Amino acid sequence: MYTHNMLEILRNLWRRKFRTLLTIFGIAIGIFAFTVMGSMALKLNKMIDGGKKYITGQITIAPKGTDFMMGQMGAMLPVDTLNKIDKVEGVEAVTGGIEMSLDEPNPDDPASMSFGIPATIEGMDLKTDFKNRNWETMEMKEGRMIKEGDPDDVIAIGSTIALDKKWKLDDKVKIRGREFKVIGILDKTMSGPDSYVFMSLDSTRELYVESNPFLKSLKEQQAQAASISVRELASLPKATRDQIMQAKAFKMEDLSTMGSVSWKDGVNSEDVANRIKDQFKDEVIVLSPKKMGEEIDKASAMMNAVILGGALLALLVGSFSVINTMIMSISERTREIGIKKSLGASNRSIALEYALEAGVIGTLGGLLGIGIGVLLIVVFNNKMAETGAEIFLLDFTFLLQVLIFSFVLGIVAGIMPAIKAAKMKVIKAIREM
Amino acid sequence: MKNVIEAKGLKKIYKMSKTNIVHALNGVDLNVEEGEFTAIIGPSGSGKSTLMHIFGLLDKPDEGTLIIDGIDMSDLKDKEAYKLRAKKIGFVFQGFNLIPALSALENIMLAGKYGGMKMSERKQRAIELLKLVGLESRMNHKPNELSGGQQQRVAIARALMNKPAIILADEPTGELDTKTSLEIIELMKKLNREDKQTFLLVTHNMEVAKDCNKIVEMRDGKRVS
Repeated sequence: MYTHNMLEILRNLWRRKFRTLLTIFGIAIGIFAFTVMGSMALKLNKMIDGGKKYITGQITIAPKGTDFMMGQMGAMLPVDTLNKIDKVEGVEAVTGGIEMSLDEPNPDDPASMSFGIPATIEGMDLKTDFKNRNWETMEMKEGRMIKEGDPDDVIAIGSTIALDKKWKLDDKVKIRGREFKVIGILDKTMSGPDSYVFMSLDSTRELYVESNPFLKSLKEQQAQAASISVRELASLPKATRDQIMQAKAFKMEDLSTMGSVSWKDGVNSEDVANRIKDQFKDEVIVLSPKKMGEEIDKASAMMNAVILGGALLALLVGSFSVINTMIMSISERTREIGIKKSLGASNRSIALEYALEAGVIGTLGGLLGIGIGVLLIVVFNNKMAETGAEIFLLDFTFLLQVLIFSFVLGIVAGIMPAIKAAKMKVIKAIREM
Repeated sequence: MKNVIEAKGLKKIYKMSKTNIVHALNGVDLNVEEGEFTAIIGPSGSGKSTLMHIFGLLDKPDEGTLIIDGIDMSDLKDKEAYKLRAKKIGFVFQGFNLIPALSALENIMLAGKYGGMKMSERKQRAIELLKLVGLESRMNHKPNELSGGQQQRVAIARALMNKPAIILADEPTGELDTKTSLEIIELMKKLNREDKQTFLLVTHNMEVAKDCNKIVEMRDGKRVS
């Protein structure tokens, strides 16, 4: 019965080929936009989820004045503060770290701006007891992760870095003028670590100092400053004295731009974060796992709304074309509706027939839109894969949902015309014959 | 003989405007017996089509009682009406009223679908009926590939699909030439004679009505004979 009904529906659609094709095309445009935008949102969400998993697995500490949203992470975190945080009730371990851009920024080259997470050096303290609760180990595609006891010139890299830079296992590569050996390439995570270069904290500190003229100058003056006695220092002008004091106090191992805190088992992470916040409110910004999770969710929801909103608008326009087509179709087929009702068709079966016809238009539009969308995504992703910056995530479940959605959209758009058809008076329809 | 239709005091009023009220039926009594071939004749506006619509459950009387095949239609709800229409009543219209997108076979099968027949049963019965009306070889032809007479034969076969208690034929020869008209009337009479199929025919053509078992004449919404 259903095969027969379906054949009749397809035949009815084929009777008005041009109009049907135009309507299908209208829906297809909307579904195409939805598929492409949705796949982009999926990819971004995956990246965000990876970041969220990481950031909610620890309490992150940053020096006061850091603006995470604006990417201003140049301030230093005093090692004394980190040592004091280590003693706060509920804290299991604290580690300092440095995050810095892999490539030197070049404002004159727009190509250096990249979509998604920028290539980043992640300076890791390999001697610490600190462990991120959600991300203790990384899956490796080749080689291994850097560990305690490794020489300072070895690195492990994310999959996007490997693709983008064309770096392979055991390659000797240059980072900011210094040579490193790649000893591991991470499995694709579809998130932050894909764009990370994992390096020992000591090496990262050296690169960081090299990239910062002020710190570089302090480091260069350190040996000279150490030789100046207290008496000599007292005789110098204040400005000079302050500079020499800074150089004397400068220690490479104190350099951190951020800190990560883990909490003891059975302790509420929010309580620990609040305690740190209360005790060090003038020195650090504390990002609690819960608050960060909420902030990320909020940003993610906003981004999804913007991305999918546009696509939904296109779909709305498409659905109006279905309503229009179905109303036209019903007007033209008044006679048929009358015949069917005179043969004993119920209002329900007439409504169902027209709603299904609209559903079939929606599904055909969906199939076409998804088809074109997938084609574009595959071509685009293949092109972008060369640089490791795929911006779409193809997910079968999502595509299936889009197809079901296009069917439902057709049905919903067809409901009003279908009810109109069902309520048609047989005598009126017959008189129009 | 059992009555297939028992109508008593049927009245139908159409309010066209506040002042223009049309008494389409003004107390019509009519019984149609099983196996009977009845013709309703009368001029335009006499109420014969309204009567057919009420018998076909396409409209409701304002007053009076109607019993079809033993079922009282007075309290019939719309949902029940379509089921009865599918199973008890067959229609043959003046303009054939076949669905253009469907073949002759599919047009006939459609009636079986609404009558609740299974798919396999539907096809078999539709082929039998096409044989009966002499159109077996045209079963896959669309209506626009058939002559007027052939289309009306298909419409008769469709009306027979659910073995109805009565077939209501509204001017079935109105769009046919004389020769074809006689062939169609002869086919209906044959079905009446051989299969005892009850027919109620509306016509203004006395030539068509003359051999019927009963002739009912309508005028100004009333039965005059």
